[in-house]
Order: sequence, then structure tokens, then C-alpha cells
Amino acid sequence: MGNLKDQNTPKKVSKPNVFSLLKPYSGMVSFLVIFALLSNGVNLLLPKIIARGIDDFTAGNFVFKTIVEEFLIAALVIFIFTYLQSILQTFASERVARDLRTKLAGKISAQSYSYILKTNPSKLLTNLTSDIDSIKMFVSMAVVTIFSSLFMIIGTCVLLLMINYKLAVPIIAIIPVIGTTFFIVLKNAKALFRRSREVIDWLNKVINESIMGAAIIRVLNSQQSEYHKFLAANTEARNLGLSILRLFAALIPIVTFVSNLGMLTILMLGGHFVITGSMSLGDFAAFNSYLALLIFPIIMIGFMSNMIAQASASYQRINEVLEAPISLETGTVKKLLQGDFELRNVSLSYGEKPVLKDISFSIKGGTQVAIIGPTAAGKSQLLNLLTDLVRPDDGTILFDGISIENFEKESFRSQVGFVLQDSVIFNMSLRENIAFSDLVTDESLEKAISTSELKEFVESLPDKLDTIVSERGTSLSGGQKQRIMLARALAINPKILLLDDFTARVDRNTERKILSNLETNYPDLTLVSITQKVASVKHFEQIILLMEGEVIAKGKHRELMESCTEYVQIYNSQRSTSHYEL
Amino acid sequence: MNYNLNQTAGTAEQKKSTLAALKKLLHLIHEEKRTIILAMIIIFINAGLSLLGPYLIGHTIDTYIQSKQFHGVIIISALLLGIYMTAFVTNYSQMILMGGVGQRMLFSLRNAVFNKLQEFPVDFFNQNKAGDLISRINNDTDKLNMFFSQSLMQFISSIFTMVGAGIFLLSINPELGSAALLPALVIWIFTRSVSPWVKRRNAANLTSLGGLSAEIQESLNNFKVIIAFNRRDYFRKRFNEANQKNYTTSVSAGLANNIFTPVYGISSNIGQLIVLSFGIYLVMTGKFTIGLLIGFLAYVNSFYHPLRQLAGLWASFQVAMAGWDRISQILSLETNLDVTDDQNTDPSASYLSFRNVSFKYPNGKEVLHHVCFDLEQGKTYAFVGPTGGGKTTTASLIARLYDATTGSVLLDGRDIRSYTPEERTAKIGFILQEPFLFTGTVRENIIYGNPDYQNLSNDQLTVLIHESGLESLLGRFDGGLDSKVQTTGDGISLGQKQLIAFMRSVLRKPELLILDEATANIDTITEQLLENILEKLPATTTKVIIAHRLNTIENADEIFFVNSGEILRAGSLDDAVNLLLHGIRES
Repeated sequence: MGNLKDQNTPKKVSKPNVFSLLKPYSGMVSFLVIFALLSNGVNLLLPKIIARGIDDFTAGNFVFKTIVEEFLIAALVIFIFTYLQSILQTFASERVARDLRTKLAGKISAQSYSYILKTNPSKLLTNLTSDIDSIKMFVSMAVVTIFSSLFMIIGTCVLLLMINYKLAVPIIAIIPVIGTTFFIVLKNAKALFRRSREVIDWLNKVINESIMGAAIIRVLNSQQSEYHKFLAANTEARNLGLSILRLFAALIPIVTFVSNLGMLTILMLGGHFVITGSMSLGDFAAFNSYLALLIFPIIMIGFMSNMIAQASASYQRINEVLEAPISLETGTVKKLLQGDFELRNVSLSYGEKPVLKDISFSIKGGTQVAIIGPTAAGKSQLLNLLTDLVRPDDGTILFDGISIENFEKESFRSQVGFVLQDSVIFNMSLRENIAFSDLVTDESLEKAISTSELKEFVESLPDKLDTIVSERGTSLSGGQKQRIMLARALAINPKILLLDDFTARVDRNTERKILSNLETNYPDLTLVSITQKVASVKHFEQIILLMEGEVIAKGKHRELMESCTEYVQIYNSQRSTSHYEL
Repeated sequence: MNYNLNQTAGTAEQKKSTLAALKKLLHLIHEEKRTIILAMIIIFINAGLSLLGPYLIGHTIDTYIQSKQFHGVIIISALLLGIYMTAFVTNYSQMILMGGVGQRMLFSLRNAVFNKLQEFPVDFFNQNKAGDLISRINNDTDKLNMFFSQSLMQFISSIFTMVGAGIFLLSINPELGSAALLPALVIWIFTRSVSPWVKRRNAANLTSLGGLSAEIQESLNNFKVIIAFNRRDYFRKRFNEANQKNYTTSVSAGLANNIFTPVYGISSNIGQLIVLSFGIYLVMTGKFTIGLLIGFLAYVNSFYHPLRQLAGLWASFQVAMAGWDRISQILSLETNLDVTDDQNTDPSASYLSFRNVSFKYPNGKEVLHHVCFDLEQGKTYAFVGPTGGGKTTTASLIARLYDATTGSVLLDGRDIRSYTPEERTAKIGFILQEPFLFTGTVRENIIYGNPDYQNLSNDQLTVLIHESGLESLLGRFDGGLDSKVQTTGDGISLGQKQLIAFMRSVLRKPELLILDEATANIDTITEQLLENILEKLPATTTKVIIAHRLNTIENADEIFFVNSGEILRAGSLDDAVNLLLHGIRES
């Protein structure tokens, strides 16, 4: 995994501001704020209408109809605007979430294989679900609340100053006090929120492994130890939750207490002013009711700050994914492959460990080549290189004389079929699993299925090719899965076919049939087969013996038998049953 | 048995009332009873204190300020300061207490769900998608947590204030009071009738979130194939479909959740209008005074204000209940692999006997038909046959990953169903066809599920490894016992994974060892080494080897040919080869 190294150097991520997310939705958000302000504004009128009604009544000129009309109209306007606001709020937040997810998925899908491995699928899952969720909350609640709260706070402050600036100044002084409290709390909270997201990644990982490894856990009856792993992560999650709680639990009481002190100031200072006659009782009463109007939005901002802190932490995590450089740039060469390829002094290491050392060999188009070697010799890594899933640290890989990096990836991969060692079956119909590329025609699908000796199996299924196979392909046997993988690779009509230990799970009889089918149905195919069985590749044009990342020998079976002791040893280890070969 | 959570949803059992669901939930936190009661008392005190403040201020204005007695103002201010300080304490404690309950509830809920998952057989995991399960454990429990730690407190204190104000209203003037509460009745009926609908929409939303999570999970774990086959667009397309679906259900859930606020708002406004008009009428007819009406209007506000807050809270309650339903679906499922009491031994049985065993996967066709065979202790048996013939299924039945549909499997003469999991797994070692490694070290993986070895030092473990002849296998890992391994990724080859699985099983020293193509991806030279290690196992160890490679089975005492769900005894290796090469393939 050579290109891991240059990705490891930490990249300076510009400090993302979660509010910048809203830019593309500014139209929607402004309407949202306008609706919120309108409904809040009209709400302020209602007490006035009631007060006027009572005043009129005491004055004796009460007109029942106008009061009711005015009131009903105001109530209806509030209803309509709050309803519109809530609809808009839903659409805005869901749209932001959906678009951000699409953007994130687009970015992830453009990344290289090694990036996904390095970033870890569990974290990406949290990014796409929990992180997006907290941003959604932010958009749907925080934005409107903060705007209308700020509006209310500023408006009230202006009114207070207009009524009596001497009393207003000490009251307004509570705002910076509260502001500082928020600042301190949020500063501390940010790290905690980030950490709690990481703990969710951890929880996801434990759950994930306990599900993927369900069979071995049951075979070993090790449910208890899985539970302990989970418990560790969950306990950490709880402790973090409690730390966050302790931090935020103080916030609201402090805000309430400080604003109550404001109330006390009004009572004492304002009371003094009233008693000394420098302020009217009416103004005093107004101060009282305006203070209530001032405090509520401050408390709301307090609640929202929690949400903003969470959303910022999430957005920062998402941004890391969005801003990660795309490591594999595609080339421009689009050509029909002849099937010749060559490795020149190729080396690869995985972390510190060298996997392939100075590998060179060349293969002629249309030939059959086997790669043989002990476990962990670097055979599978070699195939990763040949499909450009991984780039070598050193050396070049040439296809028809052109370096692999220069090929346009799509056209290149549509000519190289790859059968992985692990079976990967997607949760969809057998047809979609095999015709996994959009280039597959019915004809090539048919040919792939019959070459892979899957015809009988498919016929035996109730829905034939339309049978849905499951995520972990459980209803299928190991050999069936392998053959589906083969059919998938063949369905694209490849020029080059790479088999990674394909024959390991397929019985001898089927294996023979498949190999001969390949020769008849795909005569021009260049075949590279990693295998453990010498017997099935004896007649291949070339056999490459790989050991501990080095090419020990290459040549035809006959030549290797004469020149290479290691090869002879491998052959002998299988010889005892070779008299059963037909 | 049907374990598919998305199919069992909506069965009769699920259609319980909210109250019943709530009760079940409360049962989970019954240990918190005291804390909750304490929190309730504190919330109550806090609500009282916050009502007391405005009252005292009003009193000061009326009695002291208007009569210009600053001394009185100072006394009351001092009193208020005391109240505010107490309120600060109660306010803080209610947050800490209820928040703590929320966090601990989330903790025990997650534990309960995870524990439950561990009780289920393999079948459950085959029928449900990993991503959906993760979503249930994380997202759905979090919805509950949000309600408990953020909304419940407001919920309770709103209800306290409302009830208090309601009693006030009725006691001041029963007629006007009932008129004022009339819109509340409308709200109540409205809430009752739309809540199930709102909950359904939220449930649909959580389901689609689970689907989205499953989609991401599947694609990311299989990213290699997606890249190799040029199907980045496939990932995007499938993801966008799931994303769009989630968007649609989210919008519809969001719209449903937001219906409460405007309706509660207009109802409370109409309540005020009713009080105003009816009050003025009462004043005109001389049954009420204008002063009382002003006071009454203030109380109407303190009734409807918390009600308006309840609107938002009620929506989050519905979301929480929808999440709870999905969680209780898991909690209410039971494993079908119970341990039976039947301790009878059958003297005629050998070490392991299959008696007329048939097996069929759920929604699948029958894989084994009336299979009978006997295995003796200390012998080596080979199971060969074409792919899809039923070999892995037979092995899974021996290890009781599944139960036979009909017939019985006897181990040591006793029905395998009567063994506790501890007894059974101590006797049977099973190296699975697809090895799985936990992220960690080689050491952790080879002593995984082996409590006896957990506390051994690396040196002690190395001695044991030498005794079992495994040292050359361990030598294949550059970092020895402390080599790092990962569940996903290319850092370790399939062959190496198989070596680790092999070491793990040998170290456990089972009586019966099943190797299901356990060495298929290991080179033939190493494989000979493995054979030697197996030879060193105690003579009483029974071995069942499933393999395609003939050399791995040539030393078997007996060979069984498994094909099309039937198991035949092959007389000799030649017989087996004949059957393999010329026998009919699985139909």
C-alpha cells in the first residue's frame, strides 16, 4: 500500500464554519427567518389587542365585533406563518442533509481503495448517519431560533434604552456575562463532542465485528467477551455523555440566575427610581415585562449553543472527508488491450513491511500464466497492483508497453476481470450480481454463466436469475459464491482475467470443466491464475514461483521441475494423490 | 424461524398502546426509581420557586413601591435573592439528575440490545443486514436518549405548571375556567387522533434510515469490488436511491412532527379570545370584575404557554416511541436454539450420530434429506463432494449453528440440543470456511474465546504454542504474537487468516475438530505441516475434514461422499475419487 504514506502526512484542514453550509440555501433560509420573525412579531400584537379591548371596555366604547375580528385575524396570521415556517424548516433541513450526504457519498466513491481502508468504513458510516443528523438538527432548529432570538434581544435592548438608559445599562450588562459563560462552556464542549463522535465510531466497529463474526463467536461461545468489548465502548460513551451533561447542566441555571439578578436590579434600582420619582410606575412595569422578553431568547440561545457545538464537531469530521485529496488520478489512454503486460522492478510495502521486492516478469497476450507460492508470499498484492487498486512504491507496470497509470481507469478496468479470493455478494438479484457492470449484454451474461458452470444451479432456483441473494451470501455454498464471482468477472468480456485462488473452493470436476470452458469460450483471454494446485496449471505457458515477495523462478512446468528445487518440493507435496489425475 | 426484523414489524404484538410500550421502557430503568422520584420533587420545587418570583415582585410593587417604602423593597429583594439561589441549586440538580438518568438509560438500553444480539443464532444475522442492526443500536437508542435527557424534564415541568394553572383557573371561576380550558380539550382530542399517524411516519423514517445505513455498510465493506468493476457509479446510484428515500420519509415525518406547534398555538390563542369575550360578557352581567378578568387572563397564559411548549416535546416523544418500537422488536425476539432438558443417552449411538436428519434454510429448499451416519471417537473422517452438496450445512449442524429441521444429532449419545453452549463449544472445535479476524493482535485472535489463556503472558503462551507444534505457523507473522491484524483490508492474506483460525482451534484442544475447507487457501507445503500438527493432537480427538484437495483427505479413516443433500459412505479413496469425478453434480 505504497500511496498510504503520502496520505498519512496530516493536512491542514481549514477551520470549517457550520454556518457556511447554509450558503446555497440562503433563499430558503431567509424566507424561514422572515416567516419566523413575522409570526413572532404578530404574536407580540396579541397582548396589545387584549389590552386595548379591556381599555375600551372600561372606557365604555367597547366594540365586540372589531376586537374579535382583529384577534382572529392575528391568530390566523400566526397560524399560517408558524405552519409555513415549520414546513420550510423541514424542507430546508432535510435538503441540507440530503445534499450533504450526496456530496459526501460522491467524494467517498471517487476515493481510492486504500483511502477507504485507511479511513475505516465504521467512521464513514458515522459520518453519513449520526454526523449528518446533528447537522440536520442544527438547520431545523438552531438557525431560526438564533435569528429570532437575536432579533428579540436587540429589539428589547433598544426599547429598554429608550425607556430609561440609566436602568437599561446595568440590565444589558448581563448579556456579556452570559456570553462569556457560553464561550467557556462551548470551548470545553467541543473536544468532548468530537470525542463522543469517535466513541460512536468505536461502538459501530464493535457492533460491526460482532455481526460479521457472528458465526465464529457462536462456535467459540465467546459472546461474553464480545459483550465486554462492547461494555468498554459503551461505558466510555456513557462517561462522556455524563461529562458533557455536567458541562451543560450548569449553563441554563447560570443564565437563569444571572437574569434573575437582572430582575433584582430592576426591582431595587428601578424601585428606587420610582420612589425618588425619576421613573414612572408604568415604565417600571414595562421594564419588568421586557426583561422576561429578553431572558427567554437568551435561554433559547443557550439550548441552541449545545446543538451548534455538536453540529460544528460533526461538520469538522465531515469536512475532513470532503477535503481529503483524491489520491488516484486517472490517466487518459483509452485503448483496446492486447493482453501483453510487464512488471519492471516493482516493489511494494505495506506499512513498514516489504510485501513485494523487485519483481520483474512479462506476460504475452493470450497466454495462460500461473502464480504459485506459499501463504503470504505477496500473490494477492500482485493482483491488486495489476488492477491498479494499489500503486507500487517503485518500478513500473506496463500494459502493451504503456504504464498502467496512463490508462483511463474506466476503459482499463472494463477489460480486466478480477476474481477476488474473498467472495463478495451484494444484496440484490443474481442477475445484478453477475452483470455488475453496465456494459454487460444478455449475450455476454449468458456466456459467463455457462462458462462458470452455473447454469444448472441457476435453473434450480425458484426465480432463476432474479433470485435475490443475501448480503453475506449465506444461502449459497462457498463454491457457488466463487463461481458467481467468476461469472461477474467474465461478464464484462475481459481481455485479461485475474483469478485469486479461484480453484480453492471449487471441486476438481467443476474446476476442470470451467478451465476447458474458458479455453473454448474465451480463446484470446490472457489468464493469470494464483493457485495452490500444480496439477491444474501444468500445461500453462508460464508458471511464476513467488516466495516472500520475490520471484524465485519462472518458466514452464517442465523447466521448473528441472531447475527449481522449491518448485519440486511444492510439486512433491501434492504428488501423493497425483495418480488420480486423469 | 423468521428473524427478519423488517418482516416481523407490524405484527399484532407490535400494535401495543403507547402506555404499554412506555411501561416496558420504564421497566428498563427501574433501578433509577429513587433518582427519578427525587428529580420529580426537585422539578416540582423548582417550578414552584419560579412561580413564586413573579408573585413576590407583584406584591412588592403593590405594597412597597407604590407606597414608597424602600426598606420593604430591600427586604423582599433579599428574600428573592435567597429564592434565586435556591432555584439555581434546584435547577442545576434537576438537570444533572434527569440528564444522568437519560445517559444511564441509554447505556443500559444499548447493553440490553447488544446482549440480546449475542443470544441469537447465526440465522438471525443471515436474515438481517449489519447496517440496519447498527442503526437500531445507535440511532434508535439515541432518539430515546434525546427525549429522556433533553425533553423529559421540560415535559414534566410543563405538565406541573399547566395542571397548577388549570386548577387556579377553575377555582377562580368555574364557568370561565371551563370555557378557558375548552380549547385544551380540542387539543387533547386532536393529539390523541393524530399521534399514531405521526408515530407511523417516524417509524417509516427510522426504517429508511436503517436501510440507508445498511446500504452504506454493504458498499463500503465491498469497496474493492466496486472499484475493480468500475462501479463507483453503482455506489453513488444505490446510495442516492436510499438517500432520496430517506429524504422523502424524513420530510414526511418532519411535516407530521411540525403539525403540533401551529395547532397548539392557534388553540391557545382562541382560548384567550374565549376568556376575553366570555369574561367581558360575565362582567357585563355583573358576575365578574374587570380586575379579576385581568388576573384571569394572566393565568390563562401560564396555562397555555407550557401547552405550546408541549407541542414540540410531544413530537420528540413520538420519535422516541417509534425508536423504542424498533428496539423492542429486537428485545422481544427469542432464540430458537434453546437448551432442552432431555438428558437421556442413547446407548446404541456412537460418538457422533446423525439420525434421520433433514435440514432446510428458512425460505429455502431442503439441503439435507434424511441423513444418517455415525462417527467414532478418535478417528478421522473426510467429507467430500461437489459444491453446494451440503457439506458445510452438515458441519454447521454438528456445531449446532442451526438445528435440524427433523431428526436429531447425537453427541456422545445425547441430543446435541441438551448441551449447554459452554459444554458444547468446549467439546467441538470448528474452523469455518470463511475465517474472520477481530481487529487487534494475532495473540488476541488465537486466544479469542479461550478464557483459560487470557491471562497468560506472551512467554507462557509461546511455551503452549511450542507444545502444540504451532511455532512454525506463528513464525509466519513478522511481529509474532503482537502482529497487528484488521478485520478489513489487505494487510493479511486469506491463507494467513486460515492459519490463525487453525492455531486458535488447536490451542482449544477440542474433542471433535471440524475443518471446513479450513486450509483451502494455504499452500500445500504448509498444509503438510498442519497435518503433522493435527497428528499430534490426542488420539481421542475425532476429526472431520471437509476438503476438495485429495491429499488432505488421503489419511482419513473413512470418507463420506456428500451430494445433493445425501451422504454416502465411500469405501476407499479410489471410490471417493470415482464418485467425485463421475458422480452426478448437485441438481
